[in-house]
Amino acid sequence: MRKLLFVYLAFFAAGCTVKAVGDPNRPITINANIVVDVRGLKKTAVGIEDMVSQGAR
Amino acid sequence: MNRFKRTLVLTVFLTFGFLSAACAVQSYDLKEMTPAVQQALENRKARFAELEHLKREGLIGEADTGFVEVRGDSAEAVSVTAAENQDRKIIYEAIVEQNALGPAGYAEVQKVFAEVQRGKALPGESIQLPSGEWVKK
Repeated sequence: MRKLLFVYLAFFAAGCTVKAVGDPNRPITINANIVVDVRGLKKTAVGIEDMVSQGAR
Repeated sequence: MNRFKRTLVLTVFLTFGFLSAACAVQSYDLKEMTPAVQQALENRKARFAELEHLKREGLIGEADTGFVEVRGDSAEAVSVTAAENQDRKIIYEAIVEQNALGPAGYAEVQKVFAEVQRGKALPGESIQLPSGEWVKK
C-alpha cells in the first residue's frame, strides 16, 4: 500500500519538477511553452460574444 | 483479500483522478472585470446594432484576425471599425493577461475569436477564411 502511494507521488512529483544539470554559476534560460486549450478558449469567446449580442437586444 | 481490494479501489481512484485532471477543459475567463473591460463590453453592446447593419450592407467584414475590417467606401464603417477593434483589443489583452497566456496566447485568442465570429456571422455577410480569402457567408 505504501509502495503504491510512493510510486504515485513519485510520478506526480516528476511531472512537476524541472531539473537543471550543469555549471551552477552559469545561468540557464528555460523557455516555457504555454499550451493553450483551444476548447476552453472557444467557450470563453462564445460566452463573451453571446453576452455582447444578447445584451444589445 | 481485504487489503488487496483496498489497494485496487485506491489504484482505480487515483488513476481516474489523474486522468480527469489531465483531460479537464482549461477555462480562460475574464477573472477580473476591470473598468476598461467593462467599458469595452458596454461599448460593444451599444454598437452591436449599427455594426450588424454595416455588416449586412457589406461595408464591414469579420477578418481572420478576430477584428473587423472595412470592406466598402463608408466613413461610418471606418469609424465603427476603429472603435469596435479598439474595444475588442482591450478584451483580448485582458484574457491574455489575466490567464498568463503570453504573446503566443494572444495570437491564439485572436484565432479563436475569429472562428467564433465566422460562426456567428449571418448569411450574406463578409467573412475572411483562415486561408485569407474573403467570402460571403
